[in-house]
Amino acid sequence: MNLLWVVLLPLIGTLVPLLTERFGRNICAFSVAILPAWSLILVLMYAGGIFDGDAIRQTIEWIPAIGLDLSFRLDGLSLLFLLLILGIGLLVILYARYYLSSKDSMGQFYAYLMLFMSAMVGIVISNNLIQLWMFWELTSISSFLLISFWWHKSEARKGARMALTVTGAGGLALLAGLLLIGHMVDSYDLDTVLASGDAIRADAYYPVALILVLLGAFTKSAQFPFHFWLPHAMSAPTPVSAYLHSATMVKAGIFLMARFYPALAGTDLWFIIVSLTGLITLLLGAYIALFKHDLKGLLAYSTISHLGLITLLLGLNSELAAVAAVFHVINHAIFKASLFMAAGIIDHESGSRDMRKLNGLWKYMPYTATLAIVAALSMAGVPLLNGFLSKEMFFAETLNQSMLGSLSWIIPLLATVGAAFSVAYSLRFIHDVFFNGEPIDLPKTPKEPPRYMKVPVEILVTLCLLVGIFPVYVVEDLLHVASFAVLSHAVPEHNLAIWHGFNVPFFMSLLAMVGGLTIYYNRRHLFQFQAQFDEPDAKHIFEGAVQRVVSTSARITEKLENGSLQRYIFLLLISTLVMGASPLFDLSQNTGSRAQIPIDGVTITGAVLLILSAIATVIWHRRRFLALIFLSVVGLVVSLAFAQFSAPDLALTQLSVEIVTIILLLLALFFLPQNTSKESSNRRLSGDLFVAGMIGCVIGTICYAMLTSPLNTISDFFLANSKTGGGGTNVVNVILVDFRGFDTLGEITVLGIAALGIFKLIANMRIYMPTRDDKGRAWSNDPHPMMFEMVSQSLLPLALLVSVYIFLRGHNVPGGGFIAGLITAVAIIQQYIAHGVQWIKPRVKIDYQWLIAGGILIATATGLGSWIFDKPFLSTWFDYFNLPWIGEFELASAMLFDLGVYLTVVGAVMLILANLGKLTTSERIISKENV
Amino acid sequence: MQHLPMLPILLPMLAAVFMLLPPLSTTITRQRVFSILVMVLLVIGSVFLLLDSHQQGTQVYVLGGWQPPFGITLVADRLSTLMVLLTSVLGLCAQLYACAGDDNDGMYFHPLFMFQIMGINGAFLTGDIFNLFVFFEILLIASYALLIHGGGKQKTKANIHYVILNLVGSSIFLFALGILYGTIGSLNIEDMASKVPLLGEHEQALAKAGGLLLLVVFGLKAALLPLHFWLPKTYAAASAPVAALFAIMTKVGVYSILRVHTTIFGEDAGALASIAIPWLWPLGWLTLIMGAIGVLASPSLRLTSANLVIVSVGTLMLALAMEREAATSAALYYTIHSTLVTGALFLIADLISEQRGKAEDRYVVARNMNHAKVIGIAFFIAGLTVIGMPPLSGFVGKILILQAAQGVVEMAWIWPVVLLSGLACLVAISRAGTTIFWRSTGDSPDEEPISALKLIAVALLLCASPLLVVFGGVVTDYTDLAADQLHDRAAYIDTIHEGGE
Amino acid sequence: MEAIYAFCVGVLTTCGFFLVLRGRTFTVVIGLTLLSYAVNLFLFASGRLKLDGAAVLGQSAEYSDPLPQALVLTAIVIGFAMTAFVVILAMRSRADQGNDHVDGQIPELPIKLGSSDKRNG
Repeated sequence: MNLLWVVLLPLIGTLVPLLTERFGRNICAFSVAILPAWSLILVLMYAGGIFDGDAIRQTIEWIPAIGLDLSFRLDGLSLLFLLLILGIGLLVILYARYYLSSKDSMGQFYAYLMLFMSAMVGIVISNNLIQLWMFWELTSISSFLLISFWWHKSEARKGARMALTVTGAGGLALLAGLLLIGHMVDSYDLDTVLASGDAIRADAYYPVALILVLLGAFTKSAQFPFHFWLPHAMSAPTPVSAYLHSATMVKAGIFLMARFYPALAGTDLWFIIVSLTGLITLLLGAYIALFKHDLKGLLAYSTISHLGLITLLLGLNSELAAVAAVFHVINHAIFKASLFMAAGIIDHESGSRDMRKLNGLWKYMPYTATLAIVAALSMAGVPLLNGFLSKEMFFAETLNQSMLGSLSWIIPLLATVGAAFSVAYSLRFIHDVFFNGEPIDLPKTPKEPPRYMKVPVEILVTLCLLVGIFPVYVVEDLLHVASFAVLSHAVPEHNLAIWHGFNVPFFMSLLAMVGGLTIYYNRRHLFQFQAQFDEPDAKHIFEGAVQRVVSTSARITEKLENGSLQRYIFLLLISTLVMGASPLFDLSQNTGSRAQIPIDGVTITGAVLLILSAIATVIWHRRRFLALIFLSVVGLVVSLAFAQFSAPDLALTQLSVEIVTIILLLLALFFLPQNTSKESSNRRLSGDLFVAGMIGCVIGTICYAMLTSPLNTISDFFLANSKTGGGGTNVVNVILVDFRGFDTLGEITVLGIAALGIFKLIANMRIYMPTRDDKGRAWSNDPHPMMFEMVSQSLLPLALLVSVYIFLRGHNVPGGGFIAGLITAVAIIQQYIAHGVQWIKPRVKIDYQWLIAGGILIATATGLGSWIFDKPFLSTWFDYFNLPWIGEFELASAMLFDLGVYLTVVGAVMLILANLGKLTTSERIISKENV
Repeated sequence: MQHLPMLPILLPMLAAVFMLLPPLSTTITRQRVFSILVMVLLVIGSVFLLLDSHQQGTQVYVLGGWQPPFGITLVADRLSTLMVLLTSVLGLCAQLYACAGDDNDGMYFHPLFMFQIMGINGAFLTGDIFNLFVFFEILLIASYALLIHGGGKQKTKANIHYVILNLVGSSIFLFALGILYGTIGSLNIEDMASKVPLLGEHEQALAKAGGLLLLVVFGLKAALLPLHFWLPKTYAAASAPVAALFAIMTKVGVYSILRVHTTIFGEDAGALASIAIPWLWPLGWLTLIMGAIGVLASPSLRLTSANLVIVSVGTLMLALAMEREAATSAALYYTIHSTLVTGALFLIADLISEQRGKAEDRYVVARNMNHAKVIGIAFFIAGLTVIGMPPLSGFVGKILILQAAQGVVEMAWIWPVVLLSGLACLVAISRAGTTIFWRSTGDSPDEEPISALKLIAVALLLCASPLLVVFGGVVTDYTDLAADQLHDRAAYIDTIHEGGE
Repeated sequence: MEAIYAFCVGVLTTCGFFLVLRGRTFTVVIGLTLLSYAVNLFLFASGRLKLDGAAVLGQSAEYSDPLPQALVLTAIVIGFAMTAFVVILAMRSRADQGNDHVDGQIPELPIKLGSSDKRNG
C-alpha cells in the first residue's frame, strides 16, 4: 500500500517537530525533512512506470455510505505536482530553518507546514471525489494556521480569517459541485468521472456543476474577483509565502481545473468563464503589481497575474494550450519560489521590504542579487530562461484560438500588454532594489545571508537556467506525461526548442520587452496617474462586510428573541391553534352517531356555577385572593363532575389535591403581592382573549365530536381481568397499581423530584416577609390559637385512621395509597399550623427526604420482586388467606406497591409544605445554594 | 439477560434513590464515586443492549406480563438503543465534569442528574404513548430542578420561562393524548399504528388534530421554529454540565417526532399518512436559517453553542421531512455527531470563562488564559467538527444529508441552506476563536490549575468526533439498518405482537 | 349533556389560556391550574360520559371506561407536582428579582408599549 505512505509519511511528519524541537534548530529541521524526503523517494520509484505511460491506482473501502474510499491514483499530473510539492517543500524546510527567529516556535511552524504538505499531497493523488475534497479543505485549515502564525499581529489574524472564509466558501461550492458530478455519473470514483466526460457535458446540471467547481478553483487560485485574499496572506512568514503562493496552495485550483479538464472542458461555457476570468486576472494582477512598494506585495500580485495566465491557457480549449499551461505551472513554481525566498532574504538581512527604502543593495549582497535578478528575468520571460519558453507557447496559443470569432485578435493583444506589464514590474524589482542609488535609512545595514539560506535559491535558479537552456533534456518527458494525464489522450506535437525563428510569438515577446522597458522608464507618470485613485484595502472592506452581516443578524435576533415570555407563549398558542384547527375543516358534521345523555337540572346548575366561577376568576385575576376563592369553587365543581360521571376515585383525588393546592397557593400568596394594577393594553387583552377563545372553541368542538362518536377501546380487557388477574374489583385502582403500574411508578417519581426541586428552591430563599397585608392590616400575631390547637391535636389520630382505611380499601373500592397519603399529609400539616415548627421539631423525627426515597424504593422493589419468580418487572402476585376473628382477607404485591405510593406522597407533600411553612418562621433552611 | 431493556431506566432511578438515603446522602465524595460508577455501568449496559437488539433483533419487554396492547411495553430496537447509548455516554462525560466541583454548588445534583437520565432513557425506550408522556414529565421536572442548580438571578429568570412554556406544552400533550385515545382507543404505539388506517373519516379528522398537536409539543421540546426562542437563554444560563446534558434534550423531541410520525402516521397510514411532513419542510428550513443567524449574532460562546443546537435541530428536521431511509439514516448519524460536539462546546465554554475573569466566554479582548494551549486545541477540534470541516465527523453528516436529498426540488431547498449555514458557522467560529485565544492582553493571571476530571470529560466527548469518521463505515451501516427498521412499519407491528406472546 | 360538558371544557380552556398569557407569575399559575382542570375533564371525556357506571366490579350494570380515569389520576398527580414547583419558583423569582413579573422586570409604561402591539410586556 505504498501510495498511502506517500501521503501518510508527511502526515506523521506533523508530529516529528513537536518531539524534536527541544533538540535544537538543526536537528529539528533535519528530522522534519526526513519523512517528506522518504515519500519523495517513494514517488521517484514510481516515476519510471509513469513515464512508460501507465497510472498506478490503489483503493481501500472506507465509508461506502457517502461514497468515500481511500483511493489513490498516481499519473503524470500527480507526479508533476508531487515533485513540486515535496521538492520545493524540502527546500522551504531548509530555508525556514534560517529564516525563523529564535522567538518563533519552530516546532509549531514545521508541524503546520507538514500538515499543509500532506494535505496538498492528498489532493494531487486522490482518486475519489470526496477524498479529494477532504484534503482540499484540509489545505484551507492548515493554511489558516500558517498565515496566522504570527497571531499577535492584527493583520495576520485578519488575513488568515479572510483566506479561510474565501477558500472555505469556495470549498463548500466545490463540495456541491463534486456531489452533483457524482450524482450525474453515479460514482465518486475519479477514473469513472474522467471517463464519462461526454455524459457529464451532456447532462442538464452540467452548467451548475461547472460553475460550482470553478468557484472552488477560482477562490483557491485567487482568480478575479476572489483575488483579494492573496495579498493579505502575505502577512505570513516568508517561507510560507514561498511555499503556498508559488508551488502549492494557489496551484491547487489550477490542479483542479487540469484534473477535471477531460470531464468538464471543451464547451463554450468553459471557454467563456475560464478564459475571460484568466485574462482579467492576468491584466489586473500585472497592472497592480507595478504599483506595489512592498516586495512581497509585488510578488503577490505577479503571482495572481501568472495564475491568470495559466487559467487563460486552460480556458482556451486547445490541447497545445493545455500543454503550455502545464509547462508554465512548472516554470512559475520554480522562479516564483526563488523570488519569494530572495525577498525573504532581503527582508531578513535589511529589515525592510519597502522598495522606496531598498535601493542599491547590489553593493551589499551581490551574490543574492545575482540569483534574484536571474529569477526576475525568468519572470519577465527573457530568453534562455524557463519563463521565456512557456511565455512563447502562451503567445502562440493566443494566436491559434478563434473563439471570439472576428474579435479573437483582442486576446493576443491583451496578452502582450499583460506581458509588457510583467516585464515592467520585473524590471522594477531588479532596478529599484539592487541599483537606483543608496538605501534610505534601513533598520540594519544589509549583508549576505548565512550560507545555507542561499542554497534553496541557488538550486531553484539553476533549474530556471537548465530548463531554459536544455528544455528537451530536462522537462520534456515530465511535461509529456503530465499533459497526457490532463488531456487523457495522445499529446499533440510540440517543440520545446529555444529558437523557433522570427515568428509572430517572437515579435510579441519583443514587443512586450520594449513595452515593459518604456512603461518602467515612464513609471513616474503612471504612478502619478495611479495616485489619484485611493486604492481600496480589501481587508477593511471584507471585515466591514462581515461586521455588517453580524450586526444585521444581531438586530434580527434582538427583534424576534426579545425575552418576553408572553410573546413566546402567544406563538406557542398560535401554533396550537393552527395545528388543532386545520384538520377540523375536513370534519363534515361534528355530531357523531353515539346516543347522548339527557340533560338534567343538577348538572345544568353545576355547569353554570363552573362557568361563572371560571369567568369570575378571570375577571378578578388581579385581585388575587378573590381569584383564588373562585378557583377553588371551580375545582370543587370539577370533582363533583367526576363523581357525577361515575369516576369516584377521580372525585376523591381531585378533592384532596384541591385542598393541598389551595393551601399551597395561600401560603405563596402570603409572600407575593396581593393585588396588581392593570398592565396590558386593551388591544393586547382583546388579542389574547381572541386567541384563547379560538383555542377554547377548537378544544370544545373536538371534545363534543369525540363524546358523540362511538368507540371500542382496549378497556374491556381491564374489566375482564381486573379481579382474576389483578385481584381487585376497583378496576381504576388495579390499572394504576397493576396494568399500568409503571406509569404510577413514574408519577410518584415526578412527585418526589418536584419535592426535591422545591426544597432546592426554598433553600436560602431570601424573601421579604410581610408583617401586614396590602391594606395595612397587621397579620395576627397569635399564630397558634388555643382552640385550634386542641381540635387539630384531637383530630390527628382520627385523620390517620381514616387514611389507613382509605388505603386498605383502595384495591377494591375507591381509595388507595395516593389519597390516603394526601389525607395523612394534610393531618400533619394541620399540626404544623396549629403548634408551629418549634413544637413539631422534637416530636417528628423523620427526614421527609428519606420517606420519598423509601417510598419509591419500596415500589420499585415490589416490581423487582417479580424477577425472583422470573416474571417481568411489576408482575403482581396476590392470594386470599383466612385468619380467625379477621376472616378471609387478601394479600397482594399491589398493596406493597401502593404503600410505596403512600410514603412518597406523604414525604413529598410534607417536604414541600413544611419547609414552605418554615419560611414564615425563623427556622429557614440554609444550604450551599448560593443565591 | 431478558431484563436488560429495564436497565437504562432502573439503574439511574435506583442510583438516585440510594443517593437520597444514608450512607450516600451524607457526603458528596461518596455520591461522586457512586454516580460515576453507575454511569460507567450504564454505558456498558447500553452497549450490551444495543448489541442484543442489533444481533437478536428488537427486544420487547412486557411490563407486568400484560401482553400488548393492554400493558406497557418497552421496545429496544436499533433506534432507541442507539439513543440510550448516546445518552449514557453524554451523561457520563457531563457527570465527570460536574464531579470536578460544579455538583457542589447546590443540593441534590447527583440524584436529580440520575432522574434526568432515567427520564430521557425511558422516553427513548417506551412503546406506549401515555408512558412517553410520563417520562417526558420526569425528564422535565428533573431538568427544571437542575436548571436552577448553582443559583443566581439569570437561572431563576430563565427557569421561569422554561418551566411555564413546558407546562403549557404538557397540557397540550394531554389534549393530544385525549384525542388520540378517544378516537383510536389504544395507547400502545404499535397498536395505534395498526388501527390508524382503519379509522372512519369522522375519527380521521380528530386523530389528525391529535397528531398535529403532538407535533407542536415535540416541536417545543426540539426547539422547532417558532417554538425555539426559549432555548438560547435557557441553555446559556444553565451550569456547564447541565447544559451539556441538555444537548440531548432537543433530540428527545426529534426522536419523538421520528417515532410517532413515522410509526403511527407513517407513509402507509392511509388517509393520515405523513401528516407532519407539510409542516416540517418550511419549519425545519426556517429553523436552520434562524439558527445560523443566531450563531452569527451570538456574543458569547455559550450562546453560540446554544444556537448551534438550533442549527442541528433545523438540519435534522429537514432530514426527517425527506421521509426516506437514506435521510433518516443521515439524521441518525448527524444526531450522534451534533449531540456530542455541542455537549463538548458547552463544557469548553465553561473552561474558557473560568480562565478569563470578568470577560467570561464573551467575544471581547481579555486577559491571557493559563492553559490557553490545551483549551485552544479542544476548541479547535470542536470548532472544526461543528462547522463540518474534514477530517472530523461534521463533514460526514453534512454529506450524508446532502446526498439524501433527491431530485431538483429537494436539492434546491436543502443544499443552499445546509451549505450556507455551514459557512455562517465557519465565519462565527473563526471569529470567536481568534478573539478568545489571540486577542488577549499581556498580563497572565496567577496560576489557576485546571481540573483533570474536566479535561478528561471534554477529551472523551471530543475523541468521538474523529472516531465517528474513522469507523464511519460501521456507524453508517448501523444507522442504515436502524432507518430501515424504523420505516418498516409492518415488521414493527409483528415484532411487538410476537413480543407479547 | 355532552354539549354542555364540551362547552364547559371550552370555557375552562379559554380562561386558562387567557390567564397564562398574563404577565404576572401568580396569575399564570392560576391560569395553569384552570388549564389543568380543562385538560383533566377533556382527557376524562376521551372515555365518553356515563352516569352511575363506576368501574368497580359488581356495583353497576355496565361500566364506564376505566382507562381514561386512571390516566387522569396520573395527570392530576403530575399536575399537582408541577403546580407546586412553579408556585415556589414564582416565590423564588420574587425573592431574586424583587418583582413577580414573568420576565423578571416590570416593563416601563406597559400601556404604551402594549398599544404598539410589542409583546414585550
